[in-house]
Amino acid sequence: MPPKSRPSEAVAKPPTTLASSVVIAETASLTGTFPIKIGANTVIHPRAKLASAHGPITIGEHCIICERTHIYPPDAEGLVIGDGTVVEVNAVVEGSVGAGSVVEVGNCKLGPLTKVLEGEVIEDNTVIFGSGQRRIDASGTADARRRLLERHIESLRVLIPSNPSKFIN
Amino acid sequence: MPPKQTKGEYIETDTGNKVSRKSVILGSQNIILGGKTVIQADCTIRGDLRRTVAPGQHSGNVAVAVGRYCFLSRSSVLRPPGRTHQKTFSYYPMKIGDHVFVGEGSVVEAALIGSYVHIAKDCVIGKFAIIKDCVRIEEGTVIAPNTVIPSFSLVSGRPGVVIDELPETAQEGLECRSPNHLIQ
Repeated sequence: MPPKSRPSEAVAKPPTTLASSVVIAETASLTGTFPIKIGANTVIHPRAKLASAHGPITIGEHCIICERTHIYPPDAEGLVIGDGTVVEVNAVVEGSVGAGSVVEVGNCKLGPLTKVLEGEVIEDNTVIFGSGQRRIDASGTADARRRLLERHIESLRVLIPSNPSKFIN
Repeated sequence: MPPKQTKGEYIETDTGNKVSRKSVILGSQNIILGGKTVIQADCTIRGDLRRTVAPGQHSGNVAVAVGRYCFLSRSSVLRPPGRTHQKTFSYYPMKIGDHVFVGEGSVVEAALIGSYVHIAKDCVIGKFAIIKDCVRIEEGTVIAPNTVIPSFSLVSGRPGVVIDELPETAQEGLECRSPNHLIQ
């Protein structure tokens, strides 16, 4: 018996600009109407959700977007994720994220289960941990961390079967 | 004509594992499930993040090894931890013992979890954490990377610290037997 076919979901495929060295898993979900631009050497894990229904998304180079993340720009201004950012599992990103961050502005690190409220601007080199505590990271390790991140991306390139052609419109 | 077989939500394997059809299992050839383990819907297991610096052979490359009678709730995530060692980044295998309960929405990136561990919902277990046997981790705990949690602990907070000691009889209370009452 032939499999029952689902009614085709009206999921908008956004206009995308993917750099050639992007590793994007097949089960990543890019939906919406605004353009999505993904920079070179970025890795998008399976089941990441990028929804540009309300605004464009720009993801920089050397980023890692893990599974189960939601990147939802809330308005037409869109969302920029800077170079070298790591967005970990289950993260929800609705505001712009500076370069070198682990989910947030300029070389910052947001610990697990932390929240940054709407309209808040976090200074560079902030670490948010525990139940909302913050401190400034003055260890000067940004370049070393960036090198580690690049190696991480190289190993992910081997492990995640990439299918960018599925997402190019 | 034989009656039409209804497709249940769970696929049952011959060792008694019950895996939901809606779970996200990546790299299933690198995942070992001990018997009688339950994996609920929307649970993610990243078996594709395997060790890239394999010592020779390909076949023994396990990314995630789960013990018997484990229960992985909805929306939980099991991810092998990875780090850079001597200039190369590699993922390391994650081993989970028997009778481990992982609550809803928890993200587990530990290296080793012992047996009889109860992880409540919305927890985050950091990379390379080692959780020994008979541990109860409370809701919303965030365990920092590389932490070692000793046996018979009650862990809570962010960062997760041992707030209490469990009695020697704790193993009985932490058992995950008879999961059938939780799913049909």
